[in-house]
Amino acid sequence: MLAYDPSTNPLNNNEWSFPLLEIIHIASFAVSIGTIFVVDLRLLGIGMRRQTSAQLLKDTAPWTLIALAIVLMSGPMIFSSDPNMYLHNPGFIFKMEALLVAILYNYTIHRKVAQSTPAPVLGAFVGGISIALWVSVVFGGLFIAFT
Amino acid sequence: MSLFPFFHWLQQTDFGTALRESALVYPTVMATHLTGMALFGGMIFLTDLRILGLAMRGTSVSDVVNQFRPWKRAGLVLVASCGIMLAWAKAEFYYHNPFFWAKLTLLLLVGVHALVFRRSVYNNTAELDRAPVMPTNAKVAACLSLALWIGLVTMGRLIGYYEVTI
Repeated sequence: MLAYDPSTNPLNNNEWSFPLLEIIHIASFAVSIGTIFVVDLRLLGIGMRRQTSAQLLKDTAPWTLIALAIVLMSGPMIFSSDPNMYLHNPGFIFKMEALLVAILYNYTIHRKVAQSTPAPVLGAFVGGISIALWVSVVFGGLFIAFT
Repeated sequence: MSLFPFFHWLQQTDFGTALRESALVYPTVMATHLTGMALFGGMIFLTDLRILGLAMRGTSVSDVVNQFRPWKRAGLVLVASCGIMLAWAKAEFYYHNPFFWAKLTLLLLVGVHALVFRRSVYNNTAELDRAPVMPTNAKVAACLSLALWIGLVTMGRLIGYYEVTI
């Protein structure tokens, strides 16, 4: 009765809806991660040094959030096109784990430290981990198609 | 003259073949292409929105443009070199792919955009900082840049959807 048949999903019955959704997903992840990278480069002390990390976080946070919201809406829709495939895909599982950690990290430790005036070593450490986490998410996502 | 012999030659070079047949390197190059796009594209997006007054209003246009510049260049080099490698590995597929040529055309327009607006906008940020209202040509530059940005992402993704029947 409650079995879900993906072939009834509109995403699988229209030539353009799936690619369009992916394009939206890619463009918005670029914006969300790119805006976070700006703060990370400052934390690392290698970019945007005329601003404080707190200023840059304040500057970019609204667009990080808007883009992340679009990513988190388009993602599950893409997932719905073939849930069984995704649930058994190592790339997808890795991506979801990395994404969960990255989002939690971004809105706790990363934000706290960026809002303070961190010592250079602490800033570099926190910024470096942030970059590593988000790069992991992108790699996991890409490897869905190859695993 | 057809470019096909060149694309054919590219694909069958040792480098192209090794890239194409590697289970790990090919997707890694593609993932790096996307990561670089987040860096490069993210900064272009923020620059455009800053000029339009929609983002980073706490930071001057000069500070945004000048401090992003080295990172945008690094991002472009990263994205472009990965992109070239991706096309190299499957050159014949790309040759027949209209979305690839559309993307190259958009890239050419990105170059034209940079040349056209360099003097009045991107190398003229001190003036923009002083202007009480953002000049129209700067706003036009930002809107065109956003349109090109969306076009590039769109064509880039669609390349993967085109099915070549030779």
